[in-house]
Amino acid sequence: MDHWGARFQSRRPLLISSVSRLLAIIAVLAPWPALAGPTGSSYLSELVARARSERLAATREWHLLLHYHENVFGGYTSEQDGPTFFLAPNGKTNPDAELEATLAGFFFDDLIGEAKQPVQCAFIGRYRWLKEKLAFDDRRLPPQSCEKFDRWIEALAPHSITMIFPSAFMNNPASMFGHTLLRVDRQGQTPQMRILAYTINFMAEVPDDEGLMFAVRGIAGGYKGGFSVIPYYLKVREYRDIENRDIWEYRLNLTDAQVRRLLMHVWEMGNASFDYFFFRENCSYQLLPLLEVADPSWRLTDQFTWWTLPGDTVRLATRQPGIVGAAVYRPARTTQIRRRYERLSSDERGLLRKILQEPALAREPSFQQRPVERKALLLDIASDYLRYQSITDEKQAEIYKARDREVLVARSELKVKSDDTPVEPFVTRPELGHRTTRIGMGAGYRQDEWFEEVNLRASYHDLLDPEPGYAPGYQIELLSGALRHYEKQNRTRLERFTLANVLSLTPADALFLSPSWKVNVGMQTLLHSGCRYCTAGVANGGAGLTFETHLLKREYFFGFGELETTYSHAFEEKHRAGGGGTLGMMADLTDRWRLLASAGYLRFALGEKSDEVRWSVGQRYTLAKDAALRFEFNHRERRDNEALFTIHAYF
Amino acid sequence: MMKRLLMLSLATAFIWGQAGIVLALNPGSSAYGNGPGCGLGAQIFDQKNILHQILASTTNQIVFFNQAFGITTGTLGCTNNNKFVQNEQATLFANLNFDNLSQEMAQGGGEHLASLATLMGVPAEQQPAFFAMTQEKYATLIESGETTPAAMLKALHEAMDQHPVLAKVSMTR
Repeated sequence: MDHWGARFQSRRPLLISSVSRLLAIIAVLAPWPALAGPTGSSYLSELVARARSERLAATREWHLLLHYHENVFGGYTSEQDGPTFFLAPNGKTNPDAELEATLAGFFFDDLIGEAKQPVQCAFIGRYRWLKEKLAFDDRRLPPQSCEKFDRWIEALAPHSITMIFPSAFMNNPASMFGHTLLRVDRQGQTPQMRILAYTINFMAEVPDDEGLMFAVRGIAGGYKGGFSVIPYYLKVREYRDIENRDIWEYRLNLTDAQVRRLLMHVWEMGNASFDYFFFRENCSYQLLPLLEVADPSWRLTDQFTWWTLPGDTVRLATRQPGIVGAAVYRPARTTQIRRRYERLSSDERGLLRKILQEPALAREPSFQQRPVERKALLLDIASDYLRYQSITDEKQAEIYKARDREVLVARSELKVKSDDTPVEPFVTRPELGHRTTRIGMGAGYRQDEWFEEVNLRASYHDLLDPEPGYAPGYQIELLSGALRHYEKQNRTRLERFTLANVLSLTPADALFLSPSWKVNVGMQTLLHSGCRYCTAGVANGGAGLTFETHLLKREYFFGFGELETTYSHAFEEKHRAGGGGTLGMMADLTDRWRLLASAGYLRFALGEKSDEVRWSVGQRYTLAKDAALRFEFNHRERRDNEALFTIHAYF
Repeated sequence: MMKRLLMLSLATAFIWGQAGIVLALNPGSSAYGNGPGCGLGAQIFDQKNILHQILASTTNQIVFFNQAFGITTGTLGCTNNNKFVQNEQATLFANLNFDNLSQEMAQGGGEHLASLATLMGVPAEQQPAFFAMTQEKYATLIESGETTPAAMLKALHEAMDQHPVLAKVSMTR
């Protein structure tokens, strides 16, 4: 989802002469006076007639190649938005006209598009498909050589395709849901050479200095997106080394013919451009048509109506029988540091911290006398950590780099290879996770009356949802609401609505002192002075720290300082604003059973002056991958107590 | 960190710019393919854009390339001379991966080092010897790498020439 980058290529429109010439052809569909001689024109008429009788423009293959989707009220529209992709002036909405204009284009040797190539080459996927369907006679429609395409394929040396999923990156809002891209694995590629393969990325072209408009335009489709093909080592560097994201690689089982079809279509994408919609037609979505072109029997894009989350596309691909082969895990640099750190004794941990400050210690006898494998492990962790520091703390980068150099020189003198035991992830594989839309039915007791409720959440994951596939301590809820019926008052009301509720608990330890933070914006139902159930708009945000223990299985203890502002008619002054703090604990009692408890105090000094003690206890029990039970108790506003029991299903 | 917190406090701004970089082989692009046999080194960088990107990326706290990154447009490109192309590929790779290479040379192996060895034409069976050599001569290799990655590659070739096994590889390159 996160591929927002400036692209450097300018996209020149089709050569004007080609456009006008093609327009001329379409205007005079018969009898083709302008064509390459009488043979060409009569053969074109013949091909068009056959394509019409075989209804090729109505086939799924044609729709996929042109990215047509059926409109709600009939007809078709292509998702492609650029000026150089259609050969017919009404190609965006008319598959028939586009097919006929494409056939006409194959007779021309004008060079079109940015790469200045004949139509047969610029739209090589269409050409090969139509050639096969209509069995082109090479003498009457001479094939043109596509040197640029051939060289491109030669440089890619394709063998197979791998879907790459860099996991979510909480500290960049554009990357909060993860990302997906494809990698074109090379012939004869060994595991060590995977980084040399090229990747296929869909990304938006974002001008600099966009500021806040970025969010608005990103969501509303205000940017252009296009495909780029860049080496995997740059992506590994970006995700693993700089952003510290775990990467999963899923080998796709495609035949040679499918790989070739996919790549021919990628080549065609060089003349395509798409409006980028952050939530649906995004980086992850745009890979799906490529896979559908590879095998038209797969139904992938249909599955996403409102939004496309990278994790969902991975789950969708893994659900298609036989598509996904082996999965490979590539740990983030921080994951590697933390896993290797776990292998150290407490004495070694102390020594590591000293070496990080003063690498010269690696020369001292107290270090030198240790077994060589332990020395290598210590120095490997030290180097990784100093690199991590040089990236996160730019001001001190030179100091960390100098220390790293010293560590590495000492490391080279050990003359042994590093232990290459695989590093285990802290998170289970993303495709094992629950789906992201959630519906719930519940019942409970508030104040002095019973209620029933239904709730629905558009996406994505909260702390009490089943954890497999999601990072622990990670929550993003977008567009979630609950409708509740109160028995005694016989009243049904919108109980709460969440615009966004984002929370990141990152355990701080001796090596990583990352802050935890939270932001919650939405509507809640208050009980305040005279007002029994009052609507309130609330915004809350805070920052704090989390610590992890393993007393039972795994426990997180967290503390936040926070600010909150509320707007409600329940208050005489209609609003209140203030701050306070929260302490809490999240504990896994078993693999399925989690407890989340917190207590907080807030003082509102502005508007309606008041203070409030809140506490809550929630428990979740996982029934299945996509089903869970939840019991919550909340205390607010001094006398507002509520107990709620819910069953959740994910779809 | 403050900047990051400030960023995040903009509650509804879900999206943030992320520096990306476009290198090589874009589909249907005229920038690709300046000569036969071109692979990795075929793309021409616009140096101004790269600098621009580095600036843009630091404001987002995402540093894409560090100081070791010193691509020059003049030396990139392809010719019919296969050896030259191979050299260019290795140089480009060393340029873009200098940090990881320097770490893996000290550690006696790794995927970046194996990939560089492959680009330099070292066959798989001789790569362990290549790894051991880079570890052995680490200090001198890195010293030359500090100036330019091209200088490091030159030093690597010289070291290979003096090596009993790898000298043959270097000769046949």
